[in-house]
Amino acid sequence: MPKLHMPSDLERLSESLSDARDPNRPCITVCGGTGCRVYGSEDVLEAFRLELERQKLDSTVDLMPTGCHGFCEQGPVVAIWPQGIFYPRVRTDDVGEIISETVVGGKIVDRLVYVDPGSRQRIAYEKDIPFYQKQKRVLLDQNGYIDPSKIEDYIALDGYKALSKALHQISPEQVIEEITRSDLRGRGGAGFLTGVKWGLCRKAPGDVKYIICNADEGDPGAYMDRSIMEGNPHRVLEGMIIGAYAIGAHKGFVYIRNEYPLAVKHLRTAITQAEEYGLLGENILDSGFDFTVEIRLGSGAFVCGEETALMASIEDRIGEPRPRPPYPTESGLWGKPTNINNVETWANVPLIVGRGADWFLQLGTEQSGGTKIFSVVGNVNNTGLVEVPIGTPLGDIVFDIGGGIPKGKNFKAAQLGGPSGGCIPREHLNVPIDYTTLQELGAIMGSGGMVICDDDTCMVELARFFLNFVQEESCGKCVPCRVGTKIMLEVVTRITQGQGQEGDVEYLIELGEEIKRSSLCGLGQTAPNPVLSTIRYFRDEYEAHIRDKRCPAGVCQDLVYSPCQNECPAGQNVPAYVSLIGEGRFEEALEVILDRNPFPSVCGRVCDHPCEAKCRRSQIDDPVATRALKRFAADYMAAEGIPSAIYDRLRVETDGQKPKVAIVGSGPAGLSCAYFLARLGYQPTVFEKLPVAGGMLAVGIPEYRLPKDVLKREIEFIEKMGVEIRTEVSIGEDVTIPELYQQGYEAIFIGVGAHHGRKLNIPGETLDGVVDAVDFLRVVALSGHRMWVGRRVAVLGGGNAAIDAARTALRLGADEVTIVYRRTKNEMPAQRSEIEDAVAEGVKLELLATPAQAISQNGGIKGLECLRMCLGEFDRSGRRRPEPVEDSRFRLDVDMVISAIGQTPDTTSLLSSLELNRDGTIKVDKDGRTSVPYIFAGGDAVTGPATVIWAIAAGERAAVAIDQYLSKDDNRVYPWRETRPPDTPFDPEAEPAPYGRLETTKLASDERRCSFAEVEAVCIREAAVQEALRCLRCDYREEQATEVPTETGVPALAEA
Amino acid sequence: MGPNGEFRVSDIEEIINNHRENGRNGSLMAVLEEIQAQYRYLPRDAMILVSERLGVPLSQTYSVATFYNAFSLKPKGKHIINVCLGTACHVRGSHRVLEHIEKKLHIKPGETSKDREFTLETVNCLGACALGPVVVVDGVYSGQMNPTKADALLEEIPSNVGER
Repeated sequence: MPKLHMPSDLERLSESLSDARDPNRPCITVCGGTGCRVYGSEDVLEAFRLELERQKLDSTVDLMPTGCHGFCEQGPVVAIWPQGIFYPRVRTDDVGEIISETVVGGKIVDRLVYVDPGSRQRIAYEKDIPFYQKQKRVLLDQNGYIDPSKIEDYIALDGYKALSKALHQISPEQVIEEITRSDLRGRGGAGFLTGVKWGLCRKAPGDVKYIICNADEGDPGAYMDRSIMEGNPHRVLEGMIIGAYAIGAHKGFVYIRNEYPLAVKHLRTAITQAEEYGLLGENILDSGFDFTVEIRLGSGAFVCGEETALMASIEDRIGEPRPRPPYPTESGLWGKPTNINNVETWANVPLIVGRGADWFLQLGTEQSGGTKIFSVVGNVNNTGLVEVPIGTPLGDIVFDIGGGIPKGKNFKAAQLGGPSGGCIPREHLNVPIDYTTLQELGAIMGSGGMVICDDDTCMVELARFFLNFVQEESCGKCVPCRVGTKIMLEVVTRITQGQGQEGDVEYLIELGEEIKRSSLCGLGQTAPNPVLSTIRYFRDEYEAHIRDKRCPAGVCQDLVYSPCQNECPAGQNVPAYVSLIGEGRFEEALEVILDRNPFPSVCGRVCDHPCEAKCRRSQIDDPVATRALKRFAADYMAAEGIPSAIYDRLRVETDGQKPKVAIVGSGPAGLSCAYFLARLGYQPTVFEKLPVAGGMLAVGIPEYRLPKDVLKREIEFIEKMGVEIRTEVSIGEDVTIPELYQQGYEAIFIGVGAHHGRKLNIPGETLDGVVDAVDFLRVVALSGHRMWVGRRVAVLGGGNAAIDAARTALRLGADEVTIVYRRTKNEMPAQRSEIEDAVAEGVKLELLATPAQAISQNGGIKGLECLRMCLGEFDRSGRRRPEPVEDSRFRLDVDMVISAIGQTPDTTSLLSSLELNRDGTIKVDKDGRTSVPYIFAGGDAVTGPATVIWAIAAGERAAVAIDQYLSKDDNRVYPWRETRPPDTPFDPEAEPAPYGRLETTKLASDERRCSFAEVEAVCIREAAVQEALRCLRCDYREEQATEVPTETGVPALAEA
Repeated sequence: MGPNGEFRVSDIEEIINNHRENGRNGSLMAVLEEIQAQYRYLPRDAMILVSERLGVPLSQTYSVATFYNAFSLKPKGKHIINVCLGTACHVRGSHRVLEHIEKKLHIKPGETSKDREFTLETVNCLGACALGPVVVVDGVYSGQMNPTKADALLEEIPSNVGER
């Protein structure tokens, strides 16, 4: 290989190499990054080589192993050029087909094409994939086009030209000036201005100076430096040589983790090649400038990422930091002026010198130029390396590029900057990510690790994880870090084990601030950040652990009986009833359900089953069908006849001398409250305004989901427990609350629901033909499905009420029903399965649209004018806010509009002294106590429209609060609150049941749309038993033989 | 290395000499790294020898050997199982995988099984975050682990290694 002497030599070489690369020549690139290698990319590469040889195409088709493409989740990643066709997850078996179909035939192999997890769209070309589309890849771009083990590939793409320019056209001072002007900040974490640092080092007195490339990428969850070194090592070297020239150093070190063997290998190769071409060594490109680079391996100490510790390590000492000043730029390695930058910073240098500071500046924000690479990992669909201009909003990274959260879960927070950083919760998805904004929010840019957390991440546990990390990695030299982090870890661990005490949070804040102030180096000064930041945004989670002994995310083992039980608002002992069903012990299963829930048949049909969302079985295939199992147990026992012994066993007290309690409203909240009171020996009286009991269960949820006789059966069961229900008694008209109190009802529970539809606030909403969904569904239910319905109906809203109204309208004979919703399907609050069922029945979805005006005709309406919406910035709920598109009016020809945009409780007839929330709901504490001592409340009247299971939970909690109030005893034990492990046998060593989730049978959609017959059928006995055996028994503990009942906390009621 | 894996003075001297050729300012860590790679631990006498030959106080050699995670003073098992506990792996449930392996092998992280077959280790991040949870057995990465897959992985170990 000829040494390059003059800049013109490089120019000529680059030209000839570039010319040799025919852009139209077919080329197959196979990603060879660590991620893709784990998935077998080396085998795939070899298979391509053999197949090309076999088909005698090896002389006409290029095959190139490249560096990391960043889309690691999809490995092994293969791209076919010149078309730019992208195939993810390629296996060796696919190779033959790719060559014959795509490379030779020019056709796309459909089955191998990438499917976008969000839109389910099939996308064939790399440039069209949302993950790449919204990125700005200037540092990572070449990773996909060059073989990192060939310097020629880099030179062909103008590599080392910036170096040549620096050496021959500009002075060292000018290089520093350009870097300073570009505002390039250190990408390793601290964000110090690179140009300023270089300037200091250049000016520092001394003949011998060093530069160091910090490649000790230790932040767990960050791997961009690894990818740059693996995929484009020459760019790092070129940056270092330019930097050395500017600073006046002749010796550089790359301090690299030994956990990155591939990066070490590529870097070694690159150094050798650069030396051979005369780009490293003596008299580089005939400029008279000498520079050599040496690799030093880190030996697994996180603290060595700190610059003074790193230098100690290069000097063969233990990696303990020392106080600064003096800064390394004055006195660094072996006491000489030393400039340290991290890998990504060095990689930026050739770009800035080559293309100019102005080009770089226009990439970022006003405060900071350029791009930043983030490793977006954790609970996100598109895991991988993402390069975006500094200042890109967090939400764009998580949702547009990252593809959102898998399995339909919610984004909870992004943890940035690893153990030194902090988290950003969903309220701040709009925040532009740059150095200053992140600092304001209590996080840091750090090296760019971005760990996405969903609902299943416990923030206290995450803080414990980071503390444990820094505690282990603390070098031990200074006391605040060594001892302080240990104490913090002890406190946080205690909290996660349910041993937290009042005052712990305040203590953690005080201690954390002290450690930050007094630690010697960056490790200690930032170590408390993950704790302080999670306290800042998720203090309620700490408090749930400390006060309620409850882990809301269902993670902390000592506080969680099982994830499903933990998630159920009513605390249903899911593993117990599921495993009893698996044993064929259906009566006992039903009793377990009834212990916490008087509505097994109802919940077995309409519950939104939050338990299933937490089921660990979904890590293997799909969650256990707990709702279907609950329904099976309820229906099976109803057919058998519920034995009276069950009543006796459920009754806690039989004393009939209890005070009188009145329940206002017979919905699930009221009836649950009554049921639990009855079990405690009370004989509550329920007052219902309507002629039927059941509240929304009777007049809200349509019959095809919940047949009337099923509901009746369940209400009869509650009555038999000792509850009296008086229908057609209207509170406020027939009797007032104070009157009830005077009649001797010593406590009153209000569960009047939320039956009052929200106003649309559009012209024409009072016209005939515009109705409210709640009113509509109530009239349909009470009239026995005799109700006028339009031929063409628009239903406004995206919740369960909207879906219920739409499917009901269809069943009443409407020709066409369209749901108009202002966001997209993903944001619809209705249950997924309900939406799918509605669509299957023929309901149309008009998404991203909002009503503007109902158009009148002969007293009725003839149409609905709508506006097209688009999704704008993120709102505080973490969803994108819909915004109207200008001049986008369009009309739906409809003769009926059903509005289902939300409901509020009607509290006008209640007590005027009762304190309300701003939205009109009743203000209560977590157990349902209102501002009036004898009045309690729960259900939709408190929370606004919510689900049945939340209402049941609220009823139970209020029943306990009422009993405590009336008995004036706060220490009573409520036996159903003890979650007992079942006595069913379980073999923890056995393999999980090897079959998939139970599919329930549904009526055919064309049959459904013309009748109110129940859509879903109950499963047969054998299927139920089989399904139950799929449970992984997360409740199982080895010490279970001792049968200690677990006292589990109850979740706090959802905020209204 | 001797026939039974015991350390030989000549081997250590060779390592030291190799590093002296291109070594400039001391190469203690590089020498220790190579000994560690060859023997999977730092034999006591080897450390003494290194100190003498390099002219480094034994106290410094010892402090370096005990400071960095990459060095071990105890012999490790034939097979090294490394569970990544980096953040990305952690939020995807690596602790459950680790617990499972602990139970299966009856050893805790940092320990070696009685038969000297397995050493269980944890690492704070391998930079293979997209594949989490990651388990590395004798240098071979396996991604998206769960307890069930970990079982299969452990069962494959003897053949897995035999091929390499």
